[in-house]
Amino acid sequence: MFLEPFISSFLGNLLLGGFLLSLPIIIHLINRMRHKPKQWAAMQFLLAATRSSTSHARLRNLLILLMRMLAVLALFLFLQRPQFGGWLGWALGGTPDVILLLVDRSASMESRITGADESRRKYALKMLADAAGKFENKSHLVLLDSATRKAHEIATASSLLELPNTQPTDTAADIPAMLQTALDWLIENKAGTAEIWIASDLQASNWQPNDPRWENLVTAYDLLPQTVRVRLLATTQKSPGNASISVTQLSRQQSSGSGEVRLTADLKRTDTSPVTATINRTLNGVTTEFETRAAGQFTRWRHRFAVGDQAGGWGKLELPADGNPRDNVTYYRYSDDHSPAGLVVTESELGPLWQSAASTAGRDARTPAKHHAPADAAPADLHDATLVVWQAPLPGGEMANALRRFAEEGGRVIFFPPGKADTARFVGLGWGENQSAGNDGFTVGRWDEDQGPLANTEEGLLLPLAQLGVRKRQQVVGQAAVLAAFDDGQALLLRQSIGQGEVYFCTTLPLLTWSEMGNGLVIVPMLQRLLAAGSRRLQRDSFAKCGEIGAVDLQLEWTSAETSQRGDLQTQAGVYQSGDRWLVVNRPDSEDEFERVEDSAVAGLFGTLPFQLFQAQRDDTPLPSEIWRLVLFLMLLALMVEAWLIRPGSVPEAVPPKTQPATA
Amino acid sequence: MPEPSAQPLIEADVIGRLMGQPLLARFPMEGSVSGHHRSPHRGSSVEFAEYRNYVPGDDIRRLDWRVFARTDRYYLKEFEAETNLRCYVVLDCSGSMGFTGEHGSRLDYAKRIAATLSYLIINQGDAAGLLHVTDKSEPEIPPRRNASHLQVILDALGKAQSNGGTHLVPMLHELAEKARRRALVVILSDCFCNGEGLRDALQHLRYQKHDLALFHLLDPLELDFEFDRPVRFVDMEGSQSIVTEPATVRAEYQAQLKHFLEKLRHDCHEFNADYRRVTTDQTYDQVLADFLADRARQATRS
Repeated sequence: MFLEPFISSFLGNLLLGGFLLSLPIIIHLINRMRHKPKQWAAMQFLLAATRSSTSHARLRNLLILLMRMLAVLALFLFLQRPQFGGWLGWALGGTPDVILLLVDRSASMESRITGADESRRKYALKMLADAAGKFENKSHLVLLDSATRKAHEIATASSLLELPNTQPTDTAADIPAMLQTALDWLIENKAGTAEIWIASDLQASNWQPNDPRWENLVTAYDLLPQTVRVRLLATTQKSPGNASISVTQLSRQQSSGSGEVRLTADLKRTDTSPVTATINRTLNGVTTEFETRAAGQFTRWRHRFAVGDQAGGWGKLELPADGNPRDNVTYYRYSDDHSPAGLVVTESELGPLWQSAASTAGRDARTPAKHHAPADAAPADLHDATLVVWQAPLPGGEMANALRRFAEEGGRVIFFPPGKADTARFVGLGWGENQSAGNDGFTVGRWDEDQGPLANTEEGLLLPLAQLGVRKRQQVVGQAAVLAAFDDGQALLLRQSIGQGEVYFCTTLPLLTWSEMGNGLVIVPMLQRLLAAGSRRLQRDSFAKCGEIGAVDLQLEWTSAETSQRGDLQTQAGVYQSGDRWLVVNRPDSEDEFERVEDSAVAGLFGTLPFQLFQAQRDDTPLPSEIWRLVLFLMLLALMVEAWLIRPGSVPEAVPPKTQPATA
Repeated sequence: MPEPSAQPLIEADVIGRLMGQPLLARFPMEGSVSGHHRSPHRGSSVEFAEYRNYVPGDDIRRLDWRVFARTDRYYLKEFEAETNLRCYVVLDCSGSMGFTGEHGSRLDYAKRIAATLSYLIINQGDAAGLLHVTDKSEPEIPPRRNASHLQVILDALGKAQSNGGTHLVPMLHELAEKARRRALVVILSDCFCNGEGLRDALQHLRYQKHDLALFHLLDPLELDFEFDRPVRFVDMEGSQSIVTEPATVRAEYQAQLKHFLEKLRHDCHEFNADYRRVTTDQTYDQVLADFLADRARQATRS
């Protein structure tokens, strides 16, 4: 498609430029080598002249050579029409066949630039359009945006500002995946020389600098037959203060005979000074304003509201306008189609205790969890469950598969020690050896107080884990997130995420020979929270992250609950409905992270690839412009200096050219 | 070693043009027989020789009218105040004389001047001799007047070849010591030797009352130093060589050469030597014609 002669490639230009630059030197050396011998009589004067004029002549020769090289270089630059200034910098590689424009459309790119009243995305698009405009008649411009990750050739650079594929989204960007798409496109289209221009805010969650894909990418680019140059426009300018909000937990519960929705929202701020944050809660079209105290960069806001007998509803939480309007809204939906239900699988005497701890509240009384012996447990028992408490050897066969599907659908599974080591594994985890403590017992040293089953209560009270006496525990084999750990570093509670659900391993039992967990102060809230969290499995409405919608859902026709119009749930957050199906789409949590990748780290990611970074914050220079006039002037200047150096008049006539006989 | 030139050393048409103008010494000479040149000796024996009878054909201006008045006879008064010229032609045969430019070899040029001068000198009844300046001990050909001596000189010139270093200075000193009588010393050389030593040698010769004529032979290329590319210059009197870009050293080379030429001219002027800078693109007969004419003018003035 874009096969061009190699001579037009960057490498070709580089070689040509190098050859032209070395031409004066080669000519000089050839001249030196092709000297002819001459028998000479007046040697004494020649030797004296050489001695006295060597240093001066050498300097003059060097200057002449330098001027000639400069003139050739300037001529070469002139023919290349280099760009100078702005983020393109010195574009000496000549005109590429293809320019791939990788545009980060993630939500973080919508943050405003201080003093410019425009988003980073818009700033980047302007810069790209202006720079690419100088190549649009010579190179193919291909747009690849972070939201769709599809390459489209564009006719004019100016259209970048208007194209749908460059408009703001609530998605996150996956830069390595974009580069992989670009690589695939280059290979598939057999493109010639190419440049990849990336516009991004260097958000660490988008760049994923520790991702192993980077190494493979650089290797793959290196193996390409053509040269690919990467230019990164980092829109890292300062922004006004910003805050983001996202719903992390939501459950509808029966309380005192009435329906109640409990939600937890996280507030993240760039400022650390304590402020009173205003949160507008919209519920079924009615907006209510709340205030909460935000002390640091991170604040967890717990909120509950009565919904009566409402079967379901949707709403959003909204922050006032700030540095990034895109992360000020988060959507939620609740429903009560199904109540949470627990399933206990054990043969021990702890069965009733589990049943009570995992009981669910009904309108009139609490319903204890179902109880089965491991041999009796069947996949069908999982149908209505939201939590499975398993205290038996790890399941295998069909039951293990059913449990895995159960977790992937959003259910919660918690395993307690069977008391014996086993080689069986579930989601990579298994039971190891038992460990008994001395007289002092094991002490829980740390646990996740912010989220998960051991988080603080709504009143902010700690669960009494610090006072929990543990005498015996069973080690867990495998890698998982540790939610609670003893002082010696061993885990008390581990979590493995799988699909939309989670699998937990608790390393002790609520038996007096094991621990004091049987008093219920820890185990009851823990199981109750898992029950509630697992209820998401049964809710007809689903939660999804913008840009991560499943292929099946994308095939449906969705209507925005907010606008009652068809919505693009792949790029826009909101609450969507398709028939009796609901889908709550929010931006990925990673977009609320403010951490950026350092310059040096970014440069390191591209390894040996030709890479140029333009930091908009630091290198804020005017837009690129051609400097051929300057180059032409330089060439003329060099030629004039060279002519002055070799002018005949510079050699004084010491002896009359024509000698005549003279008589003393 | 350059090949001897095929061109004859003496050319009849050149001799024909030059014979009308005798070679005269600028200073009194000490010859052994009568000649056209002034003698330094005045007075008694030398000034008056004898009276003899007038015979038809004698110049009547030389009649002694006083004796005629007393004796009524015609007598001529004979003087020996005019004597012959002894000329030493000193030919530099050092390696540098073998330099060959666009107009031929410098040594060949010098040989033709030496041969023609010798012919003219002997032909006008004066004595001519030849000295080779080489690093070998070439036999000196002393000045003689007879016509057969010219052939000896021509044979020697024909065999002369450029070789080795320059021994001009010691040779001139030796000549100054050896030639007791006043003589004309004609030096044919490129003078590429020690300038101070040459100055002393010229002074030595002049101290012995010799009349000096220095033909400084140069090739135009040596003066103009026109080269368009790097050249490896090989010393003609040694093994030294140097690769250089002529354009870069040209100015300095010409400055050095100019200084040398000016100094040599000044030294010759100081010792009243006849300095003649000759480039090999000039025709040697014109050079000799100018030389003879200048000498005649100077002899007339003195």
